[in-house]
Amino acid sequence: MRDVAIVGAGMTPCRSRWVEKTFWELAQMAVSEAVHDAGIHIQEVEAGVAGIYNDIFEFQAIPESGFQGIIGLQNKPLMRVTNGGATGAYAMLAAYNLVASGLHDLVLVLGVEKALDCYDYEAESNTPAVVQTIGYSWDPWFERPLGAHASESYAEVIQAYMDEHPGDLAPMARARIVELLCQQAQNNPYAQRLGEKVTADQVLHSRYVVYPVRVLETCVYTEGACALIFASTEMAKKIQERNGRDPIWLTGVGAANEPYFVGNDITRYKVLHRIYSDHVATKKALKMAGIGIEDVGVIELHDAFIPQFMITLAEMGVVPVGKANDLVEEGIIMPGGKLLVNPSGGLVFGGHFVGGSNMMSTWSAMREMRARGIEHGLVHGTGASLSMYGVAIVLERRA
Amino acid sequence: MAKTRKEVASPTRKITTKPVISPAMLPMEAITEVHAADGVYLQRNDVMFTAMKHTQGEFSDFFRALRDEGKVFGHRCPECRHLIIPPFMRRCPSCNFVEMKKEYVKDTGIMAATPVITVFAPSRYKGQEPFGTGRVFLEAADGRLSDTAMLVRVRTTRGTIRPGIYKKGTSVKLAFCDHRQGEMLDVFAVPQSELTLKQLRKSPLLESEIKWGRLSEVEFGKPSVQLRKTLQEVIADFRKLAEMVPRSPRATANLANWHRTVAVRTGGGTFSFVVNEGKLHIQKDGAKSADLVVAIQDPSILLTWLRDSTQPVGDVKSPALTDMVIEGTLVLNKPELETITRLDRVPRSLRRDHVVISQSTEAN
Repeated sequence: MRDVAIVGAGMTPCRSRWVEKTFWELAQMAVSEAVHDAGIHIQEVEAGVAGIYNDIFEFQAIPESGFQGIIGLQNKPLMRVTNGGATGAYAMLAAYNLVASGLHDLVLVLGVEKALDCYDYEAESNTPAVVQTIGYSWDPWFERPLGAHASESYAEVIQAYMDEHPGDLAPMARARIVELLCQQAQNNPYAQRLGEKVTADQVLHSRYVVYPVRVLETCVYTEGACALIFASTEMAKKIQERNGRDPIWLTGVGAANEPYFVGNDITRYKVLHRIYSDHVATKKALKMAGIGIEDVGVIELHDAFIPQFMITLAEMGVVPVGKANDLVEEGIIMPGGKLLVNPSGGLVFGGHFVGGSNMMSTWSAMREMRARGIEHGLVHGTGASLSMYGVAIVLERRA
Repeated sequence: MAKTRKEVASPTRKITTKPVISPAMLPMEAITEVHAADGVYLQRNDVMFTAMKHTQGEFSDFFRALRDEGKVFGHRCPECRHLIIPPFMRRCPSCNFVEMKKEYVKDTGIMAATPVITVFAPSRYKGQEPFGTGRVFLEAADGRLSDTAMLVRVRTTRGTIRPGIYKKGTSVKLAFCDHRQGEMLDVFAVPQSELTLKQLRKSPLLESEIKWGRLSEVEFGKPSVQLRKTLQEVIADFRKLAEMVPRSPRATANLANWHRTVAVRTGGGTFSFVVNEGKLHIQKDGAKSADLVVAIQDPSILLTWLRDSTQPVGDVKSPALTDMVIEGTLVLNKPELETITRLDRVPRSLRRDHVVISQSTEAN
């Protein structure tokens, strides 16, 4: 496998609704930003990968078809990736493969999503329609007819974890993470919730969406796009000579999806109180990069729900499983702590435009690595029923 | 397999003319304008529309057993002996796709984990909240548990579902709806501890054979002077809230297209209110023909919510009304949360429309 570098990145602002923009325009905005950031011409790009989670959000089947010619890439390959919440990370994995395999030297990876065009005319509100659209991700025979949906599903995992580890995922620890992420998001110029101030006390008093998860502990619905440019070593060197900037290297990738049905045997079924996919994916990525979790200075992880954020960090090995309160109580991720987590504000405060959220995470991790001189970063994506999809990607800054 | 396929109506006893989605969800053809900071944008009313005759395929047998026999079966692998419920596949991938065998199981089992409770449901499940869902390991004939757990609705005979009724390992019995269609909603779990010996022995146990208690009908005893006084304050503050609603377009919208008469029973006495045409009316007496009965022992909890809602406050201290339902403080006589969720939106709307001036930054 060949080394792969990220040589450019471009973001649109995250908004709950872009009534001013279609997903075509959002895609073009992000790609335009990314190629200008890299200092290349779009005609140099050989192939593309488009991460779009949900056809219904885009109101079009094969929604990527309109991109060709709008984002350049006419008469070149463009592959669409859709893998639930982890779509962005999986799209990056596909783009990584295109370069690492030697097939291409310069590849565009783009993630884009609409969401809030969905509207429930009966409730006169977007939210039930958005929740319903995501709810179509559950199987139509056994689980969806019972009203299974995203918050219900993640809450099942969270509740099962709390059954195994009573006292962990303490309300105050969760609330302080929300407060922290809100503060961190204020440094992300693209964040959806710029200007907001959410306190731990407000979190503790916010209403339940699905018991035991409160509304201020959940990610937001977002429309936006992010594009990244991946290059081979040789191409990265040429681009570096032009733009005078060190690339960030992708040195480890790992992915794992757990089974759909729940049981006790972790080798065959989903074990409800684990997010084993995160554990396996992180282990693979770190091994490939030849580092340990303690070598990582910044993690941008997929925080669909704050208690899941804590479980994921435990599954990654930052703290032992069952000791996730330590993240806060021991100050590990708090200001001045040894690990920076979600400086972008994460998906709760930065935004969650599903097809590209993990790319926003990558953009943010790269920014922090450059600004703070951090050697290793880790980007994570999760998704699908019961948080069953997991992707981890190790980033490296070579001095 | 027969060469000809004939489509016949399912022999269900339930006659229904209910459309699959509520007609109110269907928009009228229109293009509307949104006036944004930098211009005017158009949006078109539309739907992503595909009606289905969605086959239940190889799962038809399982759903027919639920419907016609009131029984559950799983599939067991003859090699590794794993028993999966529901029978979501016919061949065992761990044994290189050896064919699995149908095996009926008992209607008893245990919860794999504490079930969760949905307060805000997707569009298609609105009106069913609050509902609990959880996974059950069922017992095979030899008493051993299945290797996979099946997602079911979980219910209680003691009012609406709330935390503390179920936990991981709770022994449950599956009960069956009297009128079954051949779908997962035909069956639901009840804690064994809430059933009589006779009910536990019955199989299938039907919904109509269970006594569904009404926590909202419990007696609060003779109201004390203090509780009676608090109730009068509640009524006064509720009136204040009702007077504020017409001054807030958002709050009026929260209550629009909704008609309910709600009796409120408290330890300090009873009153009622009516939601009608976007307005709120308070009545001193409990309505005799209420659409919904809500019961709460301590009226001062309501008073805190009302004070938070009608007075300029800093951080809101009262839990949401929906939280009171979920935590079991506020008990409904039926699982219909809509009136409560609509009321819960009113205080925020009053603040957003500056009818009530907030002293702190409002959270999203």
